[in-house]
Amino acid sequence: MIPASFDYRRAASADEAIALLTENGDDAKLLAGGHSLLPLMKLRLARPSVLIDISRLADLSYIRADGDQIAIGALTRHHDVEVSELLAREVPLLPAAAGQVGDPQIRHRGTIGGSLAHGDPASDLPAVVLALGGSMVVRGPGGERSIPATEFFAGFMETALAADEVLTEIRVPRLEGAGWSFQKFNRRAHDWAIVGVAAVRRGAGSGANGGGAGVALVNMASTPVRATAVEEALAGGASATEAAAHAADGLDPPSDINATPEFRRHLAQVLVRRALEEAGA
Amino acid sequence: MSDIATTHATKGTIGENASRPDGGPKVRGEFAFSGDLWADGMLWGRTLRSPHPAARIIAIDIAAALRIPGVHAVVTAADLPASVNYGLEWRDQPVFATDVVRYVGEPVAAVAADHPEAARQACEAIDVQYEPQVPLLDPAEAAAAPPIHPDGNVFRQLTIRTGDPSARGPIVVEGAYEVGMQDQAFMGPEAGLAIPADDGGIDLIVSTQWLHNDRLQVAECLGLAPEKVRLSLGGVGGAFGAREDVSLQIHACLLAQRTARPIKIVYSREESFLGHVHRHPARIWMRHSAEADGRLVSFEARILLDGGAYRSSSYHVVANATCFSAGPYKVENALAEGIGVRTNNPPCGAMRGFGAVQVCFAHEAQMDKLAEACGVDPVEIRLRNALATGDRLLTGQVIEGTLPVARVIREAAALPLPPSPEIADPMTRPGGAGRTADAAHVRRGIGFAVGFKNLMYAEGYMDGSAARCRLSDGLATVTCAAAEVGQGFVTLAQQIARTVLGVEDVLLAPADTSIGSAGSSSASRQTWMSGGAVEKACQAVRAALLQHVADRHGIDPAQLTITDGRVTSTDARDSIDLAVADAAPGVVFEEEVEYHHRITHPLDDDGQGDAHVSLVCAAHRAVVDVDPDLGLIRVVQVATAQDVGRALNPLQVLGQIEGGIAQGLGLATMEELTLRNGRILNPSFTDYLIPTALDMPEVLATLVEEPEPGAPFGAKGVGEPPTISSTPAIVAALRAATGKALNRVPVRPQDIALGDGE
Repeated sequence: MIPASFDYRRAASADEAIALLTENGDDAKLLAGGHSLLPLMKLRLARPSVLIDISRLADLSYIRADGDQIAIGALTRHHDVEVSELLAREVPLLPAAAGQVGDPQIRHRGTIGGSLAHGDPASDLPAVVLALGGSMVVRGPGGERSIPATEFFAGFMETALAADEVLTEIRVPRLEGAGWSFQKFNRRAHDWAIVGVAAVRRGAGSGANGGGAGVALVNMASTPVRATAVEEALAGGASATEAAAHAADGLDPPSDINATPEFRRHLAQVLVRRALEEAGA
Repeated sequence: MSDIATTHATKGTIGENASRPDGGPKVRGEFAFSGDLWADGMLWGRTLRSPHPAARIIAIDIAAALRIPGVHAVVTAADLPASVNYGLEWRDQPVFATDVVRYVGEPVAAVAADHPEAARQACEAIDVQYEPQVPLLDPAEAAAAPPIHPDGNVFRQLTIRTGDPSARGPIVVEGAYEVGMQDQAFMGPEAGLAIPADDGGIDLIVSTQWLHNDRLQVAECLGLAPEKVRLSLGGVGGAFGAREDVSLQIHACLLAQRTARPIKIVYSREESFLGHVHRHPARIWMRHSAEADGRLVSFEARILLDGGAYRSSSYHVVANATCFSAGPYKVENALAEGIGVRTNNPPCGAMRGFGAVQVCFAHEAQMDKLAEACGVDPVEIRLRNALATGDRLLTGQVIEGTLPVARVIREAAALPLPPSPEIADPMTRPGGAGRTADAAHVRRGIGFAVGFKNLMYAEGYMDGSAARCRLSDGLATVTCAAAEVGQGFVTLAQQIARTVLGVEDVLLAPADTSIGSAGSSSASRQTWMSGGAVEKACQAVRAALLQHVADRHGIDPAQLTITDGRVTSTDARDSIDLAVADAAPGVVFEEEVEYHHRITHPLDDDGQGDAHVSLVCAAHRAVVDVDPDLGLIRVVQVATAQDVGRALNPLQVLGQIEGGIAQGLGLATMEELTLRNGRILNPSFTDYLIPTALDMPEVLATLVEEPEPGAPFGAKGVGEPPTISSTPAIVAALRAATGKALNRVPVRPQDIALGDGE
């Protein structure tokens, strides 16, 4: 449980982090809270030769309103998301889910940006940002660009971030009173979800952020994934129960010691039904 | 918590909640565990282990490993100066594999290097050529399969036959049950420090359950006289049976001998799962017949235990599983057949409850089936069949001590039930942290179970413990090699000395091999055996002190007594009233004794015999909430009444009860080593699930105190009963809530949600 050896650099600014990434290429990894990366390094599933520590970039830790959206700095800790009054008012799904990440120690170290950039299909927050229809603001040598959550998760623990880009901000639309639910199934307190569901249901055409439903799943595919068959069924007028039957359509859920693919499909259907019922029409 | 006071007495006597001497340091993080050991100039040892469940070793090339900078030694079986095998009782396990490997994780070589990373690289550089064989993985095939070890594939086959096993009552119930492989999952991984001594011997500091047995095995393999191998106990972070077998002891000592440098070995969590024995997985079939009113007429059982690659304590686990297979119930006619076999799975051995756990899961499921078939309440059917003093066990042994089965049943059943799920705190709902299930989906179930087992070793084993007591000007020093593994023996030893000698200050010398063996901290035996030895040593010192005072005053020592820390005479005319500290200024009293329990006897060909020293029982009632669509479980409350003989430290008894229930809950709902082709798939605390504080239920406990004749202070061991019947009580509650058969533990969510548990 000792990682392979690596060099350590501390970045004083996002620009310095980008410069260090550019300099070191694929061998470098950004270190934020460390709660996803370091376990992989200890298991030697990740062996970066350089760690670029961005955890002290205080200017990337914030939660603020910005028009129809809420902007969250990538280095904001899960705990700060969990207790944010602004989020509790405007996007309560996000603090509800952040409060279920790991245990209190993890929530005081881990960051929202780290969780999203890690791209782990078993993590809670990627599915939440997918269901919300959020986007990622990333910065590289050529400047800043925005990537919709639906295009961000490219493969198993792979994202659309280029090797020399830093995720700086997560933007999520205000819920404007829309219904929401977060359902997380695990056998034991504090564990990763065996299956999880994040759901948002907006009244048709209401508000600046539009109507319709957003439903996304945790640990049901090789990436965080939207339950598009459920969303389409709802758009076609299906009931929660009818739509939930499509929860696992087109998905190839993983098999591990916690659950068979068959059980994961079952869980997804039950949890999506409950999530839609809780989120209301 | 019902009737146990939880206030502390700092320097308590017997019956009080004396504070643990190691409690403060452990809470503050100041306690030195064996993983913290350090010596100047030490090297790091590391073990290379087999990746195959069965393979021939064609060649081992260590040359590349020796060339790595910082590597001081690489040892294999060829380097052992004397015996090449070890084992708790039977030496059937190679220290390093020679021609074959028999399980994934079997040690093949060990290295010593000046840095853990160099040691790791050296292990990677050792080139072992294996020729994989087809492994024997199904225990049901083992007895008839070609032997995978010179000693054969059957560790023990035990048949217990009594009365007329073909007798039948009108009600017959039958079932097949399975228990998965549980791990002891202690927190402090195996660790030790071996230091070569100037006299050619070795000093070994190690976390273990039995210093003297380790010493014997190390001495045999290193070709040293036992007295040249001196062990002392390193800080132990839990044991539960997993430290009864040798792990790194011989490897570390051999490397120390070879390098003439201190050697430290600390297992990683993964290596810990590979490096110690586990609870035997079991397949059990049972058939009970009874009169219409539920009174048992006959009992039949077939018990198959997978012992894995080496013998460890399988012989005795088979005995316990078979002897206690009918549970604490009267039955005149029985045929119980137990067998423990060798396979290429990881070795299994001692774990809290030791054979009784596996059969209790089966016999309690059977008692519930019987209750249903007879239309009798589950509690009532157990009362109708409850064993009591004067009754016979399956083995024909008449119960001479206390065994208040009916009383523990009644008292557990009488404890208050928790509030109904509708008004309960949402945090207590299924889902661990209580977020996924909502009250509308939750169904509640209540289950009941009773279990029993023996205390101490059995079948004629000559068990003993040694202790020394020294008293000087009111300061008592107690020496005993009993391993403190968390159970609180250190507290009890002090309480006993305070009680017998009337002193406040009791020093406990480190546990080491400078004194005779205390036996193992297992089988719920140390309170009785080493507690008995400490009491006997203290009484000898007390007698010597009183003799000394009597001689000085020219009176009969029989007239003297110690009360409230003062030596006084029962004859008022003597006017003797001395503080113990002032009773013999400058005189040192020192006595060393051995304590033995009464003799037991082997079992005969029909499994009959007076084989057990003493018996202990407990009853558990579990309340669970289940979300059946998801298979999510929340154990809401476990209520228990336990036969303790006499509670010497009620708060420590409660600690054992709560911890044992946590382990029983783990086996019921989440703890299992998952094997594929003999390999453990989940050797980590991420994937091997043990309950957290949030998964623990409320625990209500009643201590049933009926002092055991012949036991020191009337006390029985209390460590194992909480694990035995808590598991079946929880599963019975799950059955009540779901209607599923649930014949296998641990119960998985899909067993409930998808009906896989049918």
